Amino acid sequence: MEHINTYIGLVPLFPLIGALVLGLMHMLTCKTDKYPDKLYGIIACIGPILAFCVSLILFFKLRGMPADSRYLIHDVFTWFAVGDLHVTMGFLADPLSSLMILFVTFIGSLIHIYSAGYMAGEENFGKYFAYLNLFLGSMLILVLGSGPVVMFVGWEGVGLCSYLLISFYCKDTDNVLAGNKAFIVNRIGDLGFVLGMSFLFWAIGSGGFDYHSLRENAHHLAPSVGLIVCLLLFVGACGKSAQIPLFVWLPDAMAGPTPVSALIHAATMVTAGVYMVARFSFIYAHVPTAGTIIAWVGILTALLAAFFGMFQKDIKKILAYSTVSQLGYMFAAVGITAYSAGIFHVFTHAFFKALLFLGAGSVIYALHHQQDVWKMGGLKEKMPTTYKTMMIGALALAGCPLFSGFFSKDEILFSALATGHTGIWAIGVLVAGMTAYYTFRMIFLVFHGKPRDQKAFDHAHEPPAVMTVPLIILAIGAAFAGVLNLPSLFGGSLAVSHWLAPSLVEHHPHVSVWIEITAILASVIAFAIGITIAYKKFADGAVEPEFSGFAKWGANKFYIDELYNCVIVQPYKTTGSLISAFIEPKVTDLPIKFFTWLYKKLGASFKVFQVGYVRVYAIYMVIGLSLMSLFLSQTIN
Amino acid sequence: MFEYGLSFMIFLPLLTGLAMLLLPLNKEVARSLGFFASIIILILGVNLFIGFNGSGGMQYVENYLWIESFGVNYGLGIDGISLMVLMTGAVLFPMVFSLFKNKSKGYYANLLIAQGAMIGAICATDLILFYIFWEVMLLPIFFMIGLYGGEKKLSATIKITLYTIAGSLLMLAALIYVGASYHAQFGKWTFDIVQLAKLDLGGGSAVLAFIMFMMAFAIKIPLFPFHTWLPDAYTEAPTPTTFILSAVMAKIGIYGVIRFIIPVFEIEFTRFAILLSLSGAAGMMYCGIAAIGQKDIKRMLAFSSASHMGIIALGVFCMNVQALTGSLFQIAAHATSTGVLFLLAGLIEERMQTRKIDQLGGIAYQAPIFATFFAIALLASVGLPGTSGFIGEFLIILGAVKFNGFIGFLAATSLIIGVCYMLWMFQRVFFEKSNERTEKFKDFSLTEVLTFLPVILLILAMGIFPQPFIKKIEPSAQLHIAQLYQSEKPEVATITTNILTHKKQ
Amino acid sequence: MIQDYLILSIILFCIGMLGVISRRNVFTVFMSIELMLNAANLAFVTFARLHESMDGHVLAMMVMAVAAAEAALVLAVIILINKHKGKLDTNIFSLLKG
Repeated sequence: MEHINTYIGLVPLFPLIGALVLGLMHMLTCKTDKYPDKLYGIIACIGPILAFCVSLILFFKLRGMPADSRYLIHDVFTWFAVGDLHVTMGFLADPLSSLMILFVTFIGSLIHIYSAGYMAGEENFGKYFAYLNLFLGSMLILVLGSGPVVMFVGWEGVGLCSYLLISFYCKDTDNVLAGNKAFIVNRIGDLGFVLGMSFLFWAIGSGGFDYHSLRENAHHLAPSVGLIVCLLLFVGACGKSAQIPLFVWLPDAMAGPTPVSALIHAATMVTAGVYMVARFSFIYAHVPTAGTIIAWVGILTALLAAFFGMFQKDIKKILAYSTVSQLGYMFAAVGITAYSAGIFHVFTHAFFKALLFLGAGSVIYALHHQQDVWKMGGLKEKMPTTYKTMMIGALALAGCPLFSGFFSKDEILFSALATGHTGIWAIGVLVAGMTAYYTFRMIFLVFHGKPRDQKAFDHAHEPPAVMTVPLIILAIGAAFAGVLNLPSLFGGSLAVSHWLAPSLVEHHPHVSVWIEITAILASVIAFAIGITIAYKKFADGAVEPEFSGFAKWGANKFYIDELYNCVIVQPYKTTGSLISAFIEPKVTDLPIKFFTWLYKKLGASFKVFQVGYVRVYAIYMVIGLSLMSLFLSQTIN
Repeated sequence: MFEYGLSFMIFLPLLTGLAMLLLPLNKEVARSLGFFASIIILILGVNLFIGFNGSGGMQYVENYLWIESFGVNYGLGIDGISLMVLMTGAVLFPMVFSLFKNKSKGYYANLLIAQGAMIGAICATDLILFYIFWEVMLLPIFFMIGLYGGEKKLSATIKITLYTIAGSLLMLAALIYVGASYHAQFGKWTFDIVQLAKLDLGGGSAVLAFIMFMMAFAIKIPLFPFHTWLPDAYTEAPTPTTFILSAVMAKIGIYGVIRFIIPVFEIEFTRFAILLSLSGAAGMMYCGIAAIGQKDIKRMLAFSSASHMGIIALGVFCMNVQALTGSLFQIAAHATSTGVLFLLAGLIEERMQTRKIDQLGGIAYQAPIFATFFAIALLASVGLPGTSGFIGEFLIILGAVKFNGFIGFLAATSLIIGVCYMLWMFQRVFFEKSNERTEKFKDFSLTEVLTFLPVILLILAMGIFPQPFIKKIEPSAQLHIAQLYQSEKPEVATITTNILTHKKQ
Repeated sequence: MIQDYLILSIILFCIGMLGVISRRNVFTVFMSIELMLNAANLAFVTFARLHESMDGHVLAMMVMAVAAAEAALVLAVIILINKHKGKLDTNIFSLLKG
């Protein structure tokens, strides 16, 4: 009984109620008199903040419990039960999900506040917040769901909100197309998720289809089925978390408003895949093959995305590729069964990436929707707060020692080295250098040097406090969040890893201190090299280069979008048109056309008998009667 | 009154419709009369649903000897399998009467007759009685498309009529074969479905009869490749007719398979299940891909409807309780979501005088409520969790995976295929820039909101609280499947045990 | 004895039939039909005699009565035809020609 807690359901409920209220308010009044934007803003912020408060309560409640039985459950109702399948609409708060909801609601609240400033004066202000609240509610359902099916509700819900918010400026076809792309690619992942769930259910789900029962029955899972389940679920994670080959939607998703990119496409939703793998660690830990595949996919994605990020000129796309790249790190971590390292990177990444996006949002806001880094420059003086906070974010992202990103990334690289995945570690170090390079390329181009567009520069100004305060709070988080999981080398005790331990199935390798030091040194050197090159090239008035050769391929993202378009999208559409224009009217109609033709022909050939004279019909009658009589007389005899 | 509740629900609309045809009423009176009758049916239906207990057996049974010499009964009754189909037939009609005001008297009369016949076909437990209602059902459709349809109504009418009549006649032959076999085995005539289930059919002629029987339902559902009548008929038919065709009539095809084919032709069914489920999957994919190439919104929805029917049918062929329950649930879910989409598309046509997707755009700014309702129905149709579409689709995929991994995969592709054409259509109709035509788009009137709101709420309620519905369906599905798996007929037993053991490894 | 009557009846019927088939004048066709009816009457009466039952007689009387009524109707129709078309040729009617 002590594990039942009815507060948990409230966490997603508050934002959902907010979404409903805002949505109704907006829908009913948007054609007539509008409510003031302030009212919407206040209502919108209530839900996330309340959810954050409840999350805090839950967190402390869990802390008060003994470490090995830290979980709280709230089964709201039986969702559906068919045969052996019992799906309960239930919520589970354990160390893993409570950590997730804490930062999701925290960052979510901050971004809601920031949005109230950023989106001020927009036409569909109410709609925006309704979607944003709906997103937060879905994300919390995803995290808190007590079983895979409930997680899937949130999983699809965040996908929907992502679609709605990417295509928020829906008068522009490109934005809607980007939204469609995101939704459809996510759906490809969902296909894997649903199939994975189905296989999982038939393998071990009949004893109850929630994490608790599944975890207890996990040892019944045959390795072959386990591999199928793991890989299928990973397809789902690939879709949501933008890994190879499904990463193409995330850069396009930057078509949405910038706070949306910060919240959904950097801090929370895209990390759902990592969370899911960690959540299923009790299966993944038993299937090392699947883990290795995931780790390699992750690290290759990290490499590819970092490479693309080096050539982008849209400030949001740089950040988008960096997000993809960081997600790759996280998958590498969970792939090599370093789940807590992966989740910790999710945690720190949420802070510094949200910060960077919001900072980029401030810049874009100040420059009136200019997003090209080659048209910025020298904004350091005009926007000091934004500059300082973004600098902290950049340092954290690039892995500058003592900032949060350094610790989390180092933990991943160290785990890779310690578990003998030297290849992954080497690529990881390379990517760390590249990350430092493209991050500071962006910082230097935007804030240093001379303004490239004088007119925009003159109008630039620091945004209002409603936007800068969240930046500052996030900057504090980005700088110091790493302290929470200090390794023993720095005198810490891996607090987050220990906190997460009951939810995860992982083994901490015990290796010599020298390996740890090697890993750290390598990361620091990579960081230093990256930042130095960036400084030399961009710190002082670089001009936009013409890409050629290999760099041109990089700038065009290896033409992967074009490739997908040629290989998948266009053939698909062409098939559709072919069916509607040719197959449907010409081919599948053939049987029925044949029959009508046959009847017509038969009719025409019998026409000759219809001469129209009564006496001819009389002859037919006589012939017919004679034949019948003949037949009768034959049969009777 | 509830002793004869089902008869009442059949004959009230049937007789009202016939009387309406004979009496000289003007169309406004006819519409009100129709609305009133359909509301009574709605109330009766809901009452029946509440009173229905989920024990799995037949309820509200009525049984009278009709044609003694051939053992034909006037037998009615419903169980969990017919319940959801019955509800779609009983609950959705008032919308049609309240939305479309400018139709002639004959039109409303035909609608009522169609409703009566459909309810009859759903409730009948006697094959002959079922066959009669099945045929009567087609007549009003024939008139509605032929008299009140669009430009190419005649060819559409001929197509649907030829197809369905061909199917029905095959069914008639098969039905007589079944009756005669019973007579040969047990020495008396009956067409009662419970009795017929005891039949031990086998051999080549049974396969032939099975194929003939199946053909009738396959055409009505429609299963790939018998779907060609559907796009034309759905497009050319006036919107309310399309609505009842897609929401109710197609479902009776599925229902027929579950009710009549599975118990009678167990051997043939188990043997052909893989083939049939492949046909369902193929239809789902083919129609889904075809939908993306359509330029006419109604035609696109027609293909989408066919695509969904494919996956619902697939659920039936998977022979396990999850998939079957999923299909039965999805019948209701699809009826509400696609039904609403067709009605809304009809309203777009009425307001904009066009159905061409190219000529629309930007409706979302002019009509936010309209767009929201459309979006909810659309999301239900693509199976988003939280709407009714998800539960059924998930259960079907889950069951299909057990039946056969590959078919499970094919079934799961519906997640992607559906969303592609729907989003693309939504983009071009509701988003992007509005043009001169769509700038004048009027949002819902109060009547329209009140008409759609209950169904939209139902869509959400069925997604969030599906258990009250599933609780009533599941025991019957369980029973139905159990009969298949406990069959004493050796051939069925081997096939079913194969399925069971195959998955155990 | 009986056979002779029946053969006569058949001969009469065939003559009538040939008349219907081969003649074009409406009157002749009508008369041929009457002939066929009478052939049938003869067969009725013959069989009635054979079976010693009155049924055949009754039917024969019935046929005669019907034939009389029919004659009245058909003659009127023929007059009308003549009025409208000015001809009594059956070939002018071929509305059923396919």
